[in-house]
Amino acid sequence: MFEAGNLLRQRVDDLATRLVMGETDVTLWSTLLGNVREQAEAGGEAEVARLAAQAIDKLPSAAAGVASFEVLFSADILALQKAAAGESAPVTAPAPGPVKAPPVALGEDPEMIADFILESREHLHQVEIQMMTLEKDPGDMEAINTVFRGFHTIKGLAGFLDFADIREVAHETETLLDLARNQEVRITSRIVDLVLAAADFLKVWLTRLEAQLAGGDPGPAPETALLLERLKQGATPGESAVAAPATPAVTTAPVVNTAPAASASSVKVDTSKLDALVDMAGEMVIAQAMVRHHPELAALQSPALLRSLAQLARITGEVQKTAMSMRMVPVAGLFQKMNRLVRDLGRKTGKQAEMEAFGAETELDRNVVEELADPLMHMVRNAMDHGLEPPEERRAAGKDPQGRVRLKASHQAGHIVIEIADDGRGLVREKILAKARRTGLVEDGEHLSDHDVFNYIFHPGFSTAAQVTDVSGRGVGMDVVKRQIQKLRGRIDIESQPGQGTSFFLRLPLTLAMIDGLVVGVGQERYVLPIFSVHEVLQPKAEMIFTVEGRQEMAMVRESLLPVVRLYRRLGVAPCSEEAAECLLVVAEAGDQRFCLMVDKLIGKQEVVIKSLGEQLRDTPGVAGGAILGDGRVSLILDLDRIYRLGTA
Amino acid sequence: MSIATIEKMPTALSGDARAGKYLTFVLGREEFAIRVIKVREIMKIQDITAVPQTPGYVKGVINLRGKVIPVVDLRLKFGLAELEYTPRTCIIVVQMQGEGVTVQTGLVVDEVSEVLSLAANEIENTPDFGEGAGAAYLLGMAKVKGKVKILLDIDQVLNSQELGGVDALIRK
Repeated sequence: MFEAGNLLRQRVDDLATRLVMGETDVTLWSTLLGNVREQAEAGGEAEVARLAAQAIDKLPSAAAGVASFEVLFSADILALQKAAAGESAPVTAPAPGPVKAPPVALGEDPEMIADFILESREHLHQVEIQMMTLEKDPGDMEAINTVFRGFHTIKGLAGFLDFADIREVAHETETLLDLARNQEVRITSRIVDLVLAAADFLKVWLTRLEAQLAGGDPGPAPETALLLERLKQGATPGESAVAAPATPAVTTAPVVNTAPAASASSVKVDTSKLDALVDMAGEMVIAQAMVRHHPELAALQSPALLRSLAQLARITGEVQKTAMSMRMVPVAGLFQKMNRLVRDLGRKTGKQAEMEAFGAETELDRNVVEELADPLMHMVRNAMDHGLEPPEERRAAGKDPQGRVRLKASHQAGHIVIEIADDGRGLVREKILAKARRTGLVEDGEHLSDHDVFNYIFHPGFSTAAQVTDVSGRGVGMDVVKRQIQKLRGRIDIESQPGQGTSFFLRLPLTLAMIDGLVVGVGQERYVLPIFSVHEVLQPKAEMIFTVEGRQEMAMVRESLLPVVRLYRRLGVAPCSEEAAECLLVVAEAGDQRFCLMVDKLIGKQEVVIKSLGEQLRDTPGVAGGAILGDGRVSLILDLDRIYRLGTA
Repeated sequence: MSIATIEKMPTALSGDARAGKYLTFVLGREEFAIRVIKVREIMKIQDITAVPQTPGYVKGVINLRGKVIPVVDLRLKFGLAELEYTPRTCIIVVQMQGEGVTVQTGLVVDEVSEVLSLAANEIENTPDFGEGAGAAYLLGMAKVKGKVKILLDIDQVLNSQELGGVDALIRK
């Protein structure tokens, strides 16, 4: 009975968090409120059931946009929270106050506000890290002090700039933390939730301020009154003592090695300046090579001159490398986000999980890190929801009831590999196969390797999840993850053992700005092929090439028949030779298709900086960008997937 | 009057708005002129990397100090006969204000002539060739020392797809 009551309360708290966070998905609300009502009815909590039903009745008007969710629900949810916590519902719910989104008066000095946003964000980032530590070790005074200082500073600045909502929330959080600091309130998961909710609230505000500074629409303001009420409740010592859950659902390890990175001094630089620096460094390397290999200089045969030129080459190379490395950031920030996600999901799904992070100091291009957030989040969510079993099931299987989600970043042969592993139930081959048969992806009797079978989870609309939960199994699937990874020119692999867990390996380039290229010649032109999609290059014999239906050519390569694409035809240039035996075949893989590209010659392998072809030529089919080769001339980087499909369309 | 203010004034009918400094160049037997303020630099013809699946007048791309920019052959853009490039062939790099970014484009012309200051009284409206008002990319005509220069609005030239009308001017 107690268990049920606790779960009910958690669900109601979850509702409150979502309200504060501005969740507006009507279907989701309806499901969540429905769950609460059913559970309350089953548990004999008539008042909670009544309030939930009342909230459900209001959904249509929220959906129609008559009023915002905050206005409609804040009173109901507050009452629900009180009812669920065993208090009698107030006769009149406290008036939430009209929640409008008035543009905040930004005062005279936008620069000061920009500074405020920047500084507050840094504090909030620290708050998140420290709260994770505190949840594990509630007695860590240093962590409490850091969090306290963060909110205190934000409060002070917000007061100065006259942002009332921010100041009040920061103030109440500070009060709560002060009690914790004086050991009048124990830091429980509930308190951690509250502080994080406050941090999220402040983040929403900062984003709004930023939008307004940029002259945009700040969007709706998050609900303040409800959060303040929750914070005040949390600060009541008696209340929180009761609320201490029987077992902390999740412990999370702090991300390894973040501290040194944070303490290093750094400068913020406009990315366009960085790009210009990279452009210029590249040009310097080319100009340097032109001077160095100039025939008139070579004719001088002066050892001193050669030494100086070699020195110049080394330095310019170093400058270029340094310029490129300035775009790199450690993945620690990204891992930190996942740490928070694992914690939140653990609380939500009632699973016990620990996140371990390795190699957080590994550096990646800023753009890659940003683009990686979504797919990573999706995979961590999957691991928590589908991968890890509930504690009872794990115990029954003889495993530690506390599951593990492991994130590991490492360098491998010029790439970075990010592993997302869980020690849950693993992928069930039969289940995936059954689903694949039902949807017609596989014929009966076909024999498939584990690798092939597991890859079916990347097909659009493929989900074996028995039930759709609000955590995952809704909307975006693994196909989207795969597409996002491919967009980053990366690859995704799966390893899984039934009962042991599943690991996903993301293999990504270090940067989107450069690419390892294979330079090939077709007629008078040179083209760069991305090396990650090239398998091998071979000199064909005439008998390897077959013609199907008099048109489509196929080549027999290692006992598989691959379509042949004559590159000169696709690109409309005159080749050196049309005779297959005088050409080279590049076996490439793009999309899910393996094929042979016929080119005239192989010029070399080279790392090139990817340049945009500019606004007008950006969408040229088959061309991914331009590269400036050693002689200063531009060569096109080909998009092999598009090149292949140009022929089939 | 500064050049910046000229740019802001309406280019419609007032002769004053069109007065100012122009770079003149040759295509075939005609001389054209574009505003000097649009010109970023002039370079000798160099190797151009062809880009597939683009209109014929897009000759390809070149490396402009580390930036890759497209090159348009103005002859082909105006529907004139293609001409083999000679040592006199030039690329004029013009810049335009795109959406939030400066867009640079190279223009291949037969020959670059000179920079001229055109006064308002030297500029006339484009004659009507029976196709309604003169095309949007024609700012007007200037008569200097008995020779006619055709004033181009280069933004309009590069933003439009089909450019008939110039040959009519040239044949005249």
